[in-house]
Amino acid sequence: MKNEWVDTLAGSVRVKARGKGIERLINACVRQGIAVWNVKKHSADTATFFIKLSDVKRLRHVARQSECKLSFVGRTGLPFFWRRAWRNSGFWLGLLLFIAIVFLLSNIVWKIEIKGAAPETEHQIARELKRMGVERGAFQFLLDDPETLQKKLTERVPDITWVGVEWKGTSLHFRVVEKEIPEPKKPIPPRHLVAKKEAVIADLFVEEGQPLVSVNDYVQKGQLLVSGIIGAEGRTKFVPASGKVFGETWYKSTVVLPLETTFHVLTGKFTERHYVGIGRLLIPVWGWKKPVFAHTIVETEKRPFRFWKWDLPLYYERITIREAEEVKRRYTWEEAFAEAKEIARRELRAKLPEEAAIRGEKVLHQAKENGKVRVELHYEVIENIAVPQPIVQGD
Amino acid sequence: MVKKWRQQMKRWMAEQLELPADIMMDLPRITMVGHIHIYIENHRGLLAFSDKELRLLLRNGQLVVRGEQFVIKTILPEEILLEGKISQVVYIDE
Repeated sequence: MKNEWVDTLAGSVRVKARGKGIERLINACVRQGIAVWNVKKHSADTATFFIKLSDVKRLRHVARQSECKLSFVGRTGLPFFWRRAWRNSGFWLGLLLFIAIVFLLSNIVWKIEIKGAAPETEHQIARELKRMGVERGAFQFLLDDPETLQKKLTERVPDITWVGVEWKGTSLHFRVVEKEIPEPKKPIPPRHLVAKKEAVIADLFVEEGQPLVSVNDYVQKGQLLVSGIIGAEGRTKFVPASGKVFGETWYKSTVVLPLETTFHVLTGKFTERHYVGIGRLLIPVWGWKKPVFAHTIVETEKRPFRFWKWDLPLYYERITIREAEEVKRRYTWEEAFAEAKEIARRELRAKLPEEAAIRGEKVLHQAKENGKVRVELHYEVIENIAVPQPIVQGD
Repeated sequence: MVKKWRQQMKRWMAEQLELPADIMMDLPRITMVGHIHIYIENHRGLLAFSDKELRLLLRNGQLVVRGEQFVIKTILPEEILLEGKISQVVYIDE
C-alpha cells in the first residue's frame, strides 16, 4: 500500500463515477498505472474513488473509452490548500495587517501618568520627560528602561526625592514623592552634648545646658561638653542641651599620584547600530557603517518588543560605538606635588560637613618613588564636634 | 492435452522442489486478517464490485468475496486490498 502522506502532499481528487461498467473503468485505470484507492460503491451504478491529482488527465483519457460519466466531488491535499489560501489572500493580508497594527500600537507609549506631584513639579517632570523623548506616541523600545528613567529624573528634577517608574501595558506610570519642608521640631528629650572626636576647643556657643569645657581645653572622644543637667544640687533639672562646640581637629591623609597617566576620553563622535534580536541571534536593521575610530567604547541597550500586553522574545538592541581618545597626562615633580595636595584637600573637603573650615595644612612627608609622588599631609580643621547623647534617666 | 500435462508437471515440480505454488502455478495468494481485511495477489482484474460482493477474475476461474460494507482500499494490476466485513470467500472453477 502506498503511503497516504505522499498523496496528501501531492493532492488527491475524489472521483464519482456513474453509469455501467465501473469495474471495467477501474480495471482500465489500474492497467494504465493510475493508482486508485478507497473505492466505494454507493448504489448499483455509482461509485466513488480517489486518484492522484497528477493522474487526472490520464483518467479523462481512460474515461472517454468507457460508458461512465465522471465528476469530481472532493479535493484534498496541499495544492488545493494553497489554491484556497491564495483565494483567501485578502483575508490573510487583513489578518497580517491586523497583527502588524496591534504590534505597532503595543509598542507605543499611549499614556503618561504622573501621580503624587504638585502641579508645578508635575509640569517640570513632564518637561524633563519630553526632553528625554518620553511622550505620547513615542516608541517604547527607543526609550530608556525604567531604572534609567528613574535615575535621570531624580537627578534632573530637584524637587523630588523618589520617583517610581512602572510600565502598565502601554502606559507609563510615575509615582512621585516630593521633598517636604521639615515639620516643626518635636520637643527634644533631655540630652547631653559630647565630643565626636578628640579636639582642642576653639569656640563655644551654647543655647541650652551647662557647658563643662572652655576654650583651649583638650577633649577626648566621648567627653561630656555640655551637660543637660542644670540647676544647683538637689534642684536639678533635665534639659535638652543644644549648641555648637567648635574644636580644632586633626586629619592625616596620604595621596599617591603617578606622574604619567593614560586615560580614555570620549571625543563625542559616535555611530549607532540598530538590531532586532531573537535569542542570541542579532539581525541588523540600520547602521552598517564601519567606524574608523581607533579606540572605542561600546554601549549596548536592549529593550523587548511587546505584543498586546506581553513581552515578545523579540527585542530591539541599540549598539552605540563611541570614539575614545587616549590622553596622556604628564606632570613634573613640582606639578605632581601640587596636584597631590589639591587632591588631598578636595577629598577632605568632601568628607567634612559644610560648616567646617580647614585652618592649616602641613606637609609631613613627601617622596618621589618610581614614577609616583607620595605626599603625607596633616590638616587642622575647625568643626562642630558636639553630638547629642540622650540622658538615660533612672526611674 | 499438452496444457493439462504441463499443469501436472508444474504441480509435480512445486512439490518436489518445494517451490511456492503460487509462483510456479500462477495461483492467487490470499491473505486475510480476521474477517476485516482480505489481500489478494495475482488476480486478473475486477469483474464486479458492490458493497456486498467482489468478483475477481483469476487465471482459471473466479474468486467471489461476499460480505458487507466493502471498500477497495488499494487496487493495483495484480493486487487488491479489500476492507469490510467478509463472510465468504468462494472459488468458482471454470
